[in-house]
Amino acid sequence: MKDIFRILIAPLVWFASFSAVYGLHGLLCGHEVSGVVLGLPLERAYLVAAYVCAIAVQVVLIVALYSSRLASPSPFVRFVSHATGWVGLIATIWSLVPVVFTTYCG
Amino acid sequence: MNALERHRKLTTIWASEKGFKGWFSTVNHTDLGRMFLVTAFFFFIIGGLLAMLIRVQLATPHSAFAGPEIYNQIFTMHGTIMMFLFAIPTFEGLAIYLLPKILGTRDLAFPRLTAYGYWCYAFGGSMMLVAMVFGIAPNGGWFMYPPLSSAIYSPGINTDFWLIGITFVEISAIAAAVEITVSILKYRAPGMSLDKMPIFAWYALITALMILTGFPPLILGSVLLEVERAFGFPFFQADLGGDSLLWQHLFWLFGHPEVYIIFLPAAGVISTILPVMCRTTLLGYGWIVAAALALAFLSFGLWVHHMFTTGIPHMGLAFFSAASTLVAVPTGVQIFAWIGTMWKGRPELRLPMLHLLGFFFTFVIGGLTGVMVAVVPFDWQAHDTAFITAHLHYVLFGGFVFPIFAGIYYWLPHVTGRRRFFRLGELAFALVFIGFHVTFLAMHWVGLLGQRRRIPTYAPEDGWTAINLISSVGSFVLAIGIGMILIDVILHVLTASRGRRNPWGAGTLEWAMPTPPLAYNFASLPHITSRDPLVDEPDLAVQLARGEGYLGTPRNTWRETLTVDIASGKPDMHVIYPSNTRLPILMSAVTGVFFVSLLLKFYWTVPVAVIGVALLVWRWVWGLGRGADLAPLSIGHGITLPNAGMTDRSPGWWGSVFLLTANATFFGSLLFGFAFLWTVAPGWPPPVWFDPSMTELGAGLSGAIIGPIAMRLAKSVNGKGRNSVTGATMALFGAILIGVACAAMMWRTPSPVDHAYGATLFVLGSYGLFHACLAMLMTSFLIARIVRGFTSAVRRAEFSIIGLWVDYTSVIGVLVLLAAHLPGVLQ
Repeated sequence: MKDIFRILIAPLVWFASFSAVYGLHGLLCGHEVSGVVLGLPLERAYLVAAYVCAIAVQVVLIVALYSSRLASPSPFVRFVSHATGWVGLIATIWSLVPVVFTTYCG
Repeated sequence: MNALERHRKLTTIWASEKGFKGWFSTVNHTDLGRMFLVTAFFFFIIGGLLAMLIRVQLATPHSAFAGPEIYNQIFTMHGTIMMFLFAIPTFEGLAIYLLPKILGTRDLAFPRLTAYGYWCYAFGGSMMLVAMVFGIAPNGGWFMYPPLSSAIYSPGINTDFWLIGITFVEISAIAAAVEITVSILKYRAPGMSLDKMPIFAWYALITALMILTGFPPLILGSVLLEVERAFGFPFFQADLGGDSLLWQHLFWLFGHPEVYIIFLPAAGVISTILPVMCRTTLLGYGWIVAAALALAFLSFGLWVHHMFTTGIPHMGLAFFSAASTLVAVPTGVQIFAWIGTMWKGRPELRLPMLHLLGFFFTFVIGGLTGVMVAVVPFDWQAHDTAFITAHLHYVLFGGFVFPIFAGIYYWLPHVTGRRRFFRLGELAFALVFIGFHVTFLAMHWVGLLGQRRRIPTYAPEDGWTAINLISSVGSFVLAIGIGMILIDVILHVLTASRGRRNPWGAGTLEWAMPTPPLAYNFASLPHITSRDPLVDEPDLAVQLARGEGYLGTPRNTWRETLTVDIASGKPDMHVIYPSNTRLPILMSAVTGVFFVSLLLKFYWTVPVAVIGVALLVWRWVWGLGRGADLAPLSIGHGITLPNAGMTDRSPGWWGSVFLLTANATFFGSLLFGFAFLWTVAPGWPPPVWFDPSMTELGAGLSGAIIGPIAMRLAKSVNGKGRNSVTGATMALFGAILIGVACAAMMWRTPSPVDHAYGATLFVLGSYGLFHACLAMLMTSFLIARIVRGFTSAVRRAEFSIIGLWVDYTSVIGVLVLLAAHLPGVLQ
C-alpha cells in the first residue's frame, strides 16, 4: 500500500490544492475582501500566497520521492512515483498560474 | 492425480448450475462477464436504434417524424443508454471476464458481489426500457439540468425514472469498482509484482479508482434532485437558498472523469492488442502507466470546462481552461508510445488492427477539437451546438467503440474457442469507418454554421438541409456496418470451427488455458517472472494443467485461491470462495423494490425493502467465516499460508477500504454542496439558524469517542483469547449515541422545505443516522458472532472490518454534528 501511496500522493495533493485555490477564489469573490498588502490587492495576495504554498508542497514531495530514505525499493515504483511527482508539480504550476495575471472576480 | 482427474474434480467444485437455472445462481466471473457484455451490447443496439431515429428526424427540415415531446425522450435515452447502460457496463463486463485470467487467478475478490452488481444493472436498465415503452422515458437531456428537470418544469414521472433508475444502475458500477480494485491489488499470481502486471490491469485499476471517486457526486446530485422533486427540499431553487449551478458542479464532477472512465479501459485494450498485432512488446510500459495515472487525476480538474457559459469569473474559467489543455499531454504520451510500438514492430493488418487504426484516426481528431473547446472564447461560440455533439462522438466512438470492436475480435476466439470462418468483419469495418466520419464530420460543419444541439427540427432557410441529409445517410451506413459486425459475431459463435489455443501468439496469461475457458481458469496457479509469461514459457499452459503450479491439488470441495502482497506479489493469504447461490439476484430484486417504491411513491414499502436488504445482508455475511480455527494451509512449492479469515487485512477489509473511499467522496461532495450554497447561492443567510444544543452535541461526540475505543478494546481482548462481547456492546452503545444525536438534529432542524439550509442539514443528519444504524447493525452482528463462537484469537478478521466502519461513522458523525451546531454557536 505504501507503494501505491508513493505513486498517488503528488497528483492527489495537486487535486487538493487545485480545489482549495478554486474554493478560496470563490470565497474571496463571495465575501467582499478589501485591502492592500505589499502593493497587491488583498485578494490577489491571498491567491498568490496559496499558489506559492501549493508549489512549495509539490517541491517538498518531489524531494521526498527522490530521497533514498522515502523512495520505494522497487525501481519500477520509483520511476512511476517520480513521473507522477513531476506531473503534480507541473500541473500545479500550470493550472493555477491564472492567479498571477487574470482578473479575479470579473 | 493426473490432469484429467484434476480437471474433473475442479469442474465439480467450480461449475455453475447447468442450463437456464445457472444464470440466476452463478457467481463465476466468466459467466457474469459474458452476461454483462451481452446485456451491454443489447443496450448498445437499443441506443443505436434511437440514434437512427434522431438522424431520421433531422434528415429533412420541418420533419414530422416525431413531435418535440417524443424527440426529447429519444435523444435523452440515446445519451443515457450509451453512457450508463453500454459504455460503463462494457468495461465492467470486459474486466470481470478478463482480469482473473490475465492476473493468473481463479476468480475475482467477491464473486457474489459481481452477481449482485450484474442483477442491479439488469433490473435498473430494464426500468429505463419500461419507461421508454410506455412513453414516459426521461426527457430532460442526459445531464438533467435543473430547473428544467425540477418538479415545476418537469412534473411527470419521466425525470424520476432517470434519477432513480440511474442510481440503481450505479450500485452496479460501485460494486464492480470495489471488486476490480481489490482483485487487481490482491488477487494475482504469485510473483506478479506491480511492474509485471499486464498493462490492461493497470488501466482497469485506474478506471475502477476513478469510478469510486467520480460516481458519488452524481449519486449525491441524483438523491438531492429526487428529494427536491418528491418532498420539495429546495436544493436547486434560487428563491429558497438553493442554486441550480450546484447540480452542474455535481454532475460534471462526475461527467468529465466519466469521459476518461470510458476511454481508459479502451486504452488498456489498445495497449494489450497493439503489441500483439505488431509482433513486439509495448514501448514505454512505465511511461504509459504514469501517463494513465496523470490523465486520471487531471480529468478531475476539468469539470468546469462544461460550464464556461454559466457566468463563472474569469479566473475560474482560466483555471479549468489551463487544466483542460494540460490533459492533452499524458494523452499524447500514450499516443506516441503506441506509435512507437508500431514503429519498432512489424504490424499485421488483421481485423483487430484495422479497428485500432480506426481508433487512431478518429480519436486524434476528437482530441484536437477537444483542445479547441478547452479555449474559452471558442467554447463560448461553439457551446451547445452540433459541433460539441460531433466532438464528443469523435472522442467516445473513436476512443471507446473502435477499441472495443478490436477487443471483441481479439478475444472472441478466447470466449468461444473457435476461429473466424466468415469474413464479414473487414467489410463491416469499412462501412463503420466511412459511415462514422461522414456522419460526424458533417455534424462539425453544421454546428459551426449555428445548429444547436437537441433541436427537434429546423427551417429550410437555415441552410443546414444538405449537411443534415449527408449526416443522416452516413449514420445509416454506420448502422449497417455495426449490424454486419453483429451478424459476423453471431455467425462466429454459431458456426465457426474449433480454433487452436492462443491464435495470436500473445504473451499474456489468458491464453494459458483451454478455450472456451473452464470454470476454474487454471488447474494450478502460475508463478510469474515476467510481463509476458507465455513468451518466456511457451508450455506454461501444459505445466499448469499438470498441476505444477500453486494449489494444484483440489482440497475438500473448496473453491480455493490465494492473494499476494500488493507491491511484491509474494503470496500472503489463502482464500476459500463461496459457491453458487441465488442470494445476489434475490437481494438485487429487494433492492429494486426499494427503488421502485420511491419511483411510484409507495412509501410504505420502502422500510419493508430496507429491512429486507438488511436481513439478506446479514444472511450473506453470516455464511462467511468458520466455526473452528484453521491451521495455515499448504499451497504447494513448500509454502503455507494463513486463511484470510485468520488475518487482520482480509479481502473484506480491503473491500471496505475502497467502499468507504467512495462513501467518503459522497460525503465530501455533500459538504462541498453545503459550502457552495452557503458562499455562492443567493438567498443566504437563511431566515433562521439551527438552534445548537450542547447536550445533543455532547452525546454525539461521546458516541464518536466511545465507539472506536471500544472496538479496539474488543479486538485486543479477542486477541488474548478472552470474551470480547463487552467491548462490542460498548461500540454498539457508541453508535446508538451518534444515531440519537443525528436523529435529534433532524427533528429540530429548521423546516427543510422553506430554505436550502434546513434541507441540507436534514440530509446531513440523515447521512449520519444511516451510518449510525449501519454501525449498530454491524456491531450487533459481531456480538452474535462472538456469542455463537465464530470468533477466536485466530479468527479475528471481522473485528478489523467492523472497526473500520465504526471509525468512519464516528468521523462523519462528528463532522455532521459540527456542521449543524457550530454555525448556530458562532452566530
